Amino acid sequence: MKNSKFLGVWIALIVLTVISALVSNSSLYYASSIIIILAVVKFIGISFYFMELKKAHIFWKASVLFYLVLFSIIIISFL
Amino acid sequence: MQTQKINHKSLYYPPGGILMWIVIFLELITFGMALIAMVFYSKDEPVIFHNSRLLLNSTFGAINTVFLITSGFFMAKSVESYKENNTTKTSLYLKLTMLGGVLFLILKSIEYYGKIGAGLTIGYNIFFSFYWMLTLFHVIHVIVGLVILISIFYGIKKGKNSTNIEDFEAGAAFWHMCDLIWLLLFPIIYLIF
Repeated sequence: MKNSKFLGVWIALIVLTVISALVSNSSLYYASSIIIILAVVKFIGISFYFMELKKAHIFWKASVLFYLVLFSIIIISFL
Repeated sequence: MQTQKINHKSLYYPPGGILMWIVIFLELITFGMALIAMVFYSKDEPVIFHNSRLLLNSTFGAINTVFLITSGFFMAKSVESYKENNTTKTSLYLKLTMLGGVLFLILKSIEYYGKIGAGLTIGYNIFFSFYWMLTLFHVIHVIVGLVILISIFYGIKKGKNSTNIEDFEAGAAFWHMCDLIWLLLFPIIYLIF
């Protein structure tokens, strides 16, 4: 992976963290759901790029995505 | 420059190794179930959860997220440098990775010190029971991750043959797992209630 891609992912993750903090202080009706979705996007950024899961067999990629979809649906449904 | 390559497209060789990924999934399921239980219990006592969440310093949580994400970035750079046989850069990035982990632990200690001083211990209420159990369990993972990284660091310093790429990637995968767990803990404990 090129240097700029890791750096680009890092910048995106920091920006998403700042957005999560801003959303949590806002009065948006769906703030909690948005925060969970942002966390899922950050999770994908770390697992697929920093951990290089993008290069792995489809089974591992599908397993991570399945976990994330299941986790976020359960959490959001309880909110 | 010579590079080391593993066929990660094989089902049996995900980056970090199949055993490490089994551990990662077990950890994610364990933390995931505990977080679901926390959100489930918050439905019974929404006021307690909301007021308790306000007692946490979300700025500390956000800064710790930045520390771990940055540490993960340097870990990825370190693995990349190791594959290119660049020992100097590998060591430098590994030191920066460990620095991120140490800064995380320092800030967490300051946070814990404040909470204990204010009497917000594990038995204070159900929210703080979850807070202490989940964050302390995560801190233990970060400490274990740091021990693994120190071991890899000294292995690299000894010489190229003492640490192979599979071991290095397994250690890196464990460290990234700490990031992943924190990415789930931070929004649920510090932000949503």
